[in-house]
Amino acid sequence: MQQPSPRTIAIDESLAAQAKLKVGDRVTLLARPAAEDYAVMTATPSGYTPSATPPETVIVAAIVRRGADPSQVARGDLLVRMHLDQLQEISGYGDRVDRFAIATKPGLRIGQLLDHINDVAFGFRAYRSHDIAVETSRTFQVVSRFHRAIGVITIVASSVFLLCIMVLKVEERRRDIAALRLMGISRSSIVKSIIVEAALVAVLGSILGVALGWAASLFVNWHYQGLYRTPLEFSIVTPEIVAVAVSLSLFLGAAAGVLASLRLVRTPPLVLLGR
Amino acid sequence: MSEATATQDVHVDRVLVSLRDVHRDYPLGAERVHALQGVTLDVERGDYVAIVGPSGCGKSTLLNLIGVIDQPTSGTVEIGGKRVDQMSDWEATSFRLRNIGFVFQRFYLMPILSALENVALPMAEAGFPKEEQRMRAAELLEYVGLSSRERHRPSQLSGGEQQRVAIARALANRPALLLADEPTGELDAHTGAEIISLFQRLNSDGATILVVTHDEELAGAARRKIHMRDGRIVDGAVHP
Ligand SMILES: Nc1ncnc2c1ncn2[C@@H]1O[C@H](COP(=O)(O)OP(=O)(O)OP(=O)(O)O)[C@@H](O)[C@H]1O
Ligand SMILES: [Mg+2]
Repeated sequence: MQQPSPRTIAIDESLAAQAKLKVGDRVTLLARPAAEDYAVMTATPSGYTPSATPPETVIVAAIVRRGADPSQVARGDLLVRMHLDQLQEISGYGDRVDRFAIATKPGLRIGQLLDHINDVAFGFRAYRSHDIAVETSRTFQVVSRFHRAIGVITIVASSVFLLCIMVLKVEERRRDIAALRLMGISRSSIVKSIIVEAALVAVLGSILGVALGWAASLFVNWHYQGLYRTPLEFSIVTPEIVAVAVSLSLFLGAAAGVLASLRLVRTPPLVLLGR
Repeated sequence: MSEATATQDVHVDRVLVSLRDVHRDYPLGAERVHALQGVTLDVERGDYVAIVGPSGCGKSTLLNLIGVIDQPTSGTVEIGGKRVDQMSDWEATSFRLRNIGFVFQRFYLMPILSALENVALPMAEAGFPKEEQRMRAAELLEYVGLSSRERHRPSQLSGGEQQRVAIARALANRPALLLADEPTGELDAHTGAEIISLFQRLNSDGATILVVTHDEELAGAARRKIHMRDGRIVDGAVHP
């Protein structure tokens, strides 16, 4: 009997790494008797486990990288793309399908199509992929809101901290400020110079902070993309985030400078000198 | 114009600082400290006056009133014919900037600025162009013998050098009056002597100087010594 040339399957990176498979390897598809509802593949350097229907040997034709789907990241699934009959055979599900996707041509009225399908469908429902995406990312929205709350608390706490440091720093200079006032330097010049200095420090600080955040985000992405074998970006530093960070720190720094210096320039210089 | 008025005009013009029956009380709990009790004093342009007396007799209080840092409880203070005893904070600040140079016991140089920048600071505040600030600051540093220290920070200068930078800074806006409160107080005898001769040179170049001091040498170098006790001038004899 002539052997037909083996069919091909595609596996994902995680599976390739775990089972040490590469493109061109021959593998055998079979379902383990004890586990009916999932597919297992074993590499066969020395043959395969006998079963009722002889298992099919296939060739790994491709190793695919998974799409960036946050809902799949932490599940640790291993993915195999095989022919439908192979899947039916191996899963024992027969004709049963849990879900499938339909690609539509651009320009199609999807709303109408959905209504039509749902009218005639029996035992299933059709959804837009967009709606499913929104539905499945509820968790992420909650997490994101939570992160925002942490962010706000951090900013409030660090502003208080910043103000305290500013007051202390300016306080250290009470004698200098008194001497400047005695020399005839006006209050507004002193406040201005303190604001400029505070703003400069704030901008430098925020640039440093952004650089640090950027480096941290590179590390986080590198680490978790490796861990979960996904191109998903876990952490992003957008221009908006940088703009908010710099302008917020500029504002907070300058405000802290004003508050701290006003306190001192309102005190008569002789009192500042301890007279 | 009669001869009498002409002489009087000259006289008025010659007097730079004029105090009349000046009192300064400090509240101290329910009590009042009478730091100055009726001081009347004229200082002429080009004079070099040392104010001496025991600790707590009111020397610094008097200097502060003349320097428009403080206001008298009663009496009048005039500088260059202008009443300065009732000025608002803003007026007083701007008056000090343009008319009075201060030298303190502790030099009070700005630590992050170079010697040159410290000297230029009052000129920057007065709005002089950058180039002029730099040139005049360099001239002043040369005058006090610190040309080679323009770029140094205060922390890189000795006490005597810092005080000379402070004196150069006090002269920045060509003040009518140079006031110094214990300018040699933090210095040893040798560096103190340098400051004393600098003051003498300044005075012979036309500066009007008032110093408050316990330093006999410094007081002895002045043209005129004013002795104070308990908030009063007890002796204002012209120095021989
Ligand atoms: N801010 C103030 N509050 C209350 N009393 C003051 C104040 N400043 C000065 N005095 C008092 O006024 C008096 C004169 O003080 P002042 O500082 O003028 O003395 P001084 O002659 O400069 O003394 P010293 O030689 O020790 O510097 C002192 O009795 C002092 O205690
Ligand atoms: Mg004193």
